[in-house]
Amino acid sequence: MLNILVCVKQVPDVNLVKIDPVTGSLIRAGVPAILNPLDANALEAAVRTKEKYGGSVTVITMGPDQAAEALRECLAAGADRAVLLSDRAFANADTLATSYVIVTAAKLLGSFDLIFCGKESLDGATGQMASQLAERFDASQLSSVCTVLEVDEDKRTVTAERELALGVETARALLPCLMTVEKTNYRPRIPNLKSWKASRTAAIEMFTSDTIPGLDRAQIGDPGSPTKVPRTYPPEKGPGGEMIREGSAAKDVEALLARLADKL
Amino acid sequence: MNKYEYKDMWVYIEHSGGKILPVSLELCCEARKLCDAAGETLCAVVVGELHRSEIERILACGVEKLIRVSGTGLERFSVDAYTELFTQLCRKYRPSAVLVGGTIDGRDFAPRFACRLPTGCTSDATQLVYDPKTGDIEFIEPAVGGKMMAVITVPVMRPQVGTIRPGTFKYLPAGARPCEVIDERFDFPEEKIRTEVLDFLPDEADESLNIADAEYIVCVGNGLKGADTLGRYRELAALLGGKLGCTRPVFDRGILPYKLVIGQSGVVVKPRIYLAFGVSGAVNHVTGITDSDVIVAVNRDPEAAIFGYCTYGIVGDMDEVCDAMIAQLKAKV
Repeated sequence: MLNILVCVKQVPDVNLVKIDPVTGSLIRAGVPAILNPLDANALEAAVRTKEKYGGSVTVITMGPDQAAEALRECLAAGADRAVLLSDRAFANADTLATSYVIVTAAKLLGSFDLIFCGKESLDGATGQMASQLAERFDASQLSSVCTVLEVDEDKRTVTAERELALGVETARALLPCLMTVEKTNYRPRIPNLKSWKASRTAAIEMFTSDTIPGLDRAQIGDPGSPTKVPRTYPPEKGPGGEMIREGSAAKDVEALLARLADKL
Repeated sequence: MNKYEYKDMWVYIEHSGGKILPVSLELCCEARKLCDAAGETLCAVVVGELHRSEIERILACGVEKLIRVSGTGLERFSVDAYTELFTQLCRKYRPSAVLVGGTIDGRDFAPRFACRLPTGCTSDATQLVYDPKTGDIEFIEPAVGGKMMAVITVPVMRPQVGTIRPGTFKYLPAGARPCEVIDERFDFPEEKIRTEVLDFLPDEADESLNIADAEYIVCVGNGLKGADTLGRYRELAALLGGKLGCTRPVFDRGILPYKLVIGQSGVVVKPRIYLAFGVSGAVNHVTGITDSDVIVAVNRDPEAAIFGYCTYGIVGDMDEVCDAMIAQLKAKV
């Protein structure tokens, strides 16, 4: 029986985020928060592994109370247990502080054989969480996994295919192992009505900084984050090119091709 | 921690099949400028054997210190061994910064040794600026899908660790300087390596997926209506003798494979003509196309950022413009 953990994040749908042209800050109002899309692929890989070998899938996230919605989505798609770490003291955490809170809390839930993560988040997109979670779990690490081939519970190994730049590598790792999942072969399932309904009222376990025993406050939130963001600004506008405005697509293209004649 | 006790900026030299990856040399060139600004020493860290001719390429970037590491357990890259190696080396030599190429391996082990030390780690900066007031490097990177730029610093901890994507910086060697060579022995017990490679199957050579050196590129962005409208862009690319590429959201929508994604996290291209259809112009994408000779942008939104970077711009429906281009190119032949 495998004990599987999936670490997920709720993110703003960045394709809909606008930037205030004056202040350069994000306008989040009205932007829906969604389950980070690549995390859905990680969850799918975890649930399929559970279905093949038996066991249970726990999803965990750190975020505001609304992040419970992302967890319910995971419950609908096959997760068995959902854990939300929510506290103002966790805010403004970088990957080092976030991984610390998640792993400290996860260790209270049991010991995990496999940990699945998405490759990166849509918003922060550092792609650093997986490595730092693996470090704190003292787990082996396989990134860019496109297929989980075999879990051998007796030998305590997992064998998986990794999608690398020039080909596919087959690798074997000792458990516990943290894998980041490619979307290639793990298209998220569409929950059926029954599981969706059940997820609406399912229990979500909550932890705050006060209810995670032994949590070192110096390592959480802003104080625990060695990286800082002193400022943000809108990207510089390029110098701009020559706009072709001839009145119709055909005439625009004619004028364009004339300008490109020596390059074609 | 007194950060001023940490000196030297390091670049990890990643190599494969006896050849240094271009990203490592790009980082040496960029770090050279940082070191000049900061009055620090540029140090390259090489793990394993490299031929003299390859070492010369590192030295040509103005490296003043070379740490050559040999020992057991390092022959093949593993996260376990390389994480421990860099943890130990950083504790021993106390560098102010460690820059690592944003390859799959680099992105696997750099955040991990940063966590073990512990210190701050950043990824995917597109600019590195030394701030003399604080003594910190500003890692400037696109955030929120390229809609804004964020300045990231590591103001207290050292070293400042950063992974940088291939192609972000230019390979412009500043010339060799006197260089001190340090030989470092590090043995990692083989039995502590928890991963093993069983097999490697190279991708079948699909030329359509190899866009890095294409002379003509037709790139479709998130303005693409759907997979069913792709045919005309393939046709245009074929007519030009070029390749089809896409932006990240098109991959996210499951329409085209990752190998066709152009930009910072995908392929960096430098064609004679780059035609962007329905591309908004997010920084992450623009970073990957700036070396194109000519950039043509077609977008229905006259405010699209891509028009700031193009050579020629057309405001209009991408499908209509593409169809007109196909018709007129065919008429010429």
